[in-house]
Amino acid sequence: MPENPYLNVLLMAALTVVFIIACSYGLGYLAKSIAKLRGASPKKQESTFAGYFFAAPWIVGFLIFVIVPLGFSLYWSFTDYRIASGEPTTWIGAKNYQTILFDDESFRASIVNTLYLTVIGLPLQIGVALFLAVLLNQKMHGERVFRMAFYLPVILGFNTAVLLCWRLMLNTGTGIINQIIRGVTTAIPPLGYVSRSLIFIEEVSAAFFLGLNTGKYNLMMKVIEAGFPADNRVPLWVQSPLWTKMSVVLLMVWGCGAMMLIFLAGLNNIPKELHEAAQVDGASPWQRFWKISFPLLTPYIFYNLVVGMISALQIFEPIFVLYRDNQPVVSSTISMVYYLWQKSFSHFEIGYGSAISWVILVIIMIVTVIQFRLQDRWVTYDIY
Amino acid sequence: MQKKLFALLSLLVLASLVLAACGTPAATEAPAAATEEAAATEAPAATEAAASGEGTTLKIYLLDYTPDTIAWLKEEINPAFEAAHPGVTVEITEGSWSGWDTTFSGFFAAGEGPDIINLGSEMNTLYGENLADMEAYLGEGAWDEISNFGPALENAKYDGSLRGLPIFTAPRYVFCRTDLMEAAGWTTGTPQNFADWKEFASTASVIDPATNSLTQQALVPVDAGSMADWQWWLLVFYSLGGQLYKEDGTPNFDSPEALAATQFLLDMRQATYGEAVNAVGALPAGQGSVIDVDDATGKDNGAVCLAHSGWAAPAFDRPTWDKISIEPFYGDPENFPNSKPVVLAFNDWLAVPEYSQNKELAAEWLKLAFSKEGNNKWNETMGLIPARNDSQYGYVTESAQLQREAELASQYGVGFAGIKEAAKLSTIMQDALGKLITEELTVEEVNAKIQEEYIAALGQ
Repeated sequence: MPENPYLNVLLMAALTVVFIIACSYGLGYLAKSIAKLRGASPKKQESTFAGYFFAAPWIVGFLIFVIVPLGFSLYWSFTDYRIASGEPTTWIGAKNYQTILFDDESFRASIVNTLYLTVIGLPLQIGVALFLAVLLNQKMHGERVFRMAFYLPVILGFNTAVLLCWRLMLNTGTGIINQIIRGVTTAIPPLGYVSRSLIFIEEVSAAFFLGLNTGKYNLMMKVIEAGFPADNRVPLWVQSPLWTKMSVVLLMVWGCGAMMLIFLAGLNNIPKELHEAAQVDGASPWQRFWKISFPLLTPYIFYNLVVGMISALQIFEPIFVLYRDNQPVVSSTISMVYYLWQKSFSHFEIGYGSAISWVILVIIMIVTVIQFRLQDRWVTYDIY
Repeated sequence: MQKKLFALLSLLVLASLVLAACGTPAATEAPAAATEEAAATEAPAATEAAASGEGTTLKIYLLDYTPDTIAWLKEEINPAFEAAHPGVTVEITEGSWSGWDTTFSGFFAAGEGPDIINLGSEMNTLYGENLADMEAYLGEGAWDEISNFGPALENAKYDGSLRGLPIFTAPRYVFCRTDLMEAAGWTTGTPQNFADWKEFASTASVIDPATNSLTQQALVPVDAGSMADWQWWLLVFYSLGGQLYKEDGTPNFDSPEALAATQFLLDMRQATYGEAVNAVGALPAGQGSVIDVDDATGKDNGAVCLAHSGWAAPAFDRPTWDKISIEPFYGDPENFPNSKPVVLAFNDWLAVPEYSQNKELAAEWLKLAFSKEGNNKWNETMGLIPARNDSQYGYVTESAQLQREAELASQYGVGFAGIKEAAKLSTIMQDALGKLITEELTVEEVNAKIQEEYIAALGQ
């Protein structure tokens, strides 16, 4: 290889082009030959060649970047493959799966944490997305700016600046979120009771989930014994294991822009005549939403639920962003995929990590199949 | 049309083939060179030709160094090296400690990557099997200057053999603001036993009732929020005279010292934050070191004492230094007679991976960058203590703080190294200590959990 890095890049690019073209020709001719063997006309053979020739780059990419790694991952999941051990990979059969399913308490804890984020976080995420969509579906000045503003978090993702902002916002003493809570509850004292009630409920539920991890519920009992929080209590967000998961939920909700867009599209598809007729019949906006909009939005809710559930079961980024360097509290919020990352890239147990990834895949498939089976009971496609 | 398309595609293929052909001879030569280099590992003296490195790129991967350090390496060290080794190009890639593990696992899994990588203290055991034995190039028989390196050199060894060279020593001291101590009514200086520390934590921590958060924290150790980081635990444990492993090699988390260390962490946490179910908020984030003054507001950042590396303390030119003492952590001599003052010494070091085809060149570069002057200059740009004893001159002796730090390091330094399965122990301890601060588990249960899980991780 030439030593000039620029030439290297050019050369690699050229070789890639050659490879893609060769593969495209190869696949095209293979498809054409099969068509010929099946007795297709010359025109059909040519169109078969063209079709496969142009689809080939994607097919080859899929094979190289998806199927081959999947194959390796499946193979490694049955081996004791550790990168840093300096020992050869050894076949151990289903031992990794056996350990994950029956012995690994940390993996069980990660399932419980993921369950919390899915059961609490996903409905909140969908609820807020729907609420925003309904708001932004109104005709008003600057609606596009608002839409963009709420979609912006999806584009921003979880980069360093976002991480810093969230950490500052979630600071217990001086963070903007707690400042707002303090301001509002001071100005409107009854809301202070609501805030403290929510704090109590959150802490009890978080302590319950932490108890599920260890099998001990002494923390939950202590939270209950401590009773109603004092009037200066605010959420301890990223600082306390009782609040770490709720902080992740906040980030999930913050990133609901994509769901919001889907709902907006759904709301736009609802015929206006239905609303107008209901209005003539004297239906209130609330009644129109629940009797017309909501039922007709169920396909969109179903889509967001399926996609959101898969995303929640694979949650990694918000946890990594918030707690990567805050180790003692991370175990209180570690998700299945974070655990997979930890095993694979921190402990270098690639074999074990591969097995975890296949277990996660099976869990996601089961949950998704259940969702599809249950959709007949609540999703309506009447006008579509 | 089809013919034209065919002609165009054929032309592209031909052009690509021609381009590929231009690159092919060099590519096929590589394995031969690689074989020679591999042979050089075993017999360095016999392969002088390899050291000349005709047409070779020596790749170095550094983590989070200051722009000054990188500029110095690129402007002084690398040109000097390239001049001494015609045909060799040195290429520095800058990475970050955030995500280093993922990056390094990629290097080792692929069996290719930089010729020199930047590691931390405990990583000699983590990656040892994958690091090259550099004794033949850097050991006493090959390089007489190796005797100038201080105790940090041990962190650069695995299985008794050198795998690279240490850059600096960054011990963890106890920095205390004497003015804030006095203002809190504490007149006896840095606490020297556990009882005093607990009393100090209660006395000098200040909570703002309006925000239910700390505005002053008596002691900020590693991970100020939890006060239960595993590195902080190890420092406390070592100060009690604790040994991480028993004579039979099994972990020692069931020892009285280990129990006392865990209890101390819990006591300090509760004295500062209160009980888990009624914990107060952490210190707000300020500009600069937590024991410094925020220039923008003129207020203190909130910590009275800081148990951390020098880089977490204020910059040496800050006026706050007039009011800062530097001490080791003294343990608990009244209850544990084997207690000793400790500064837990971390260090960065550069290692040569086993997969490197340029081991001899890597050693030559290390010798140049880690010369007496080189090691001094490298650390001057960061204000840290050079790993070489004879490099501790100039800015080290001119700075009262660094001189004090260097003295403490040589007197009380304990290396953060030799930890088996360090990554797993870290995860196990952080998990258990996280449950300590929520009081989900008792002190005894925490230590039993660590002991049991670490034994399993070690495969014992």
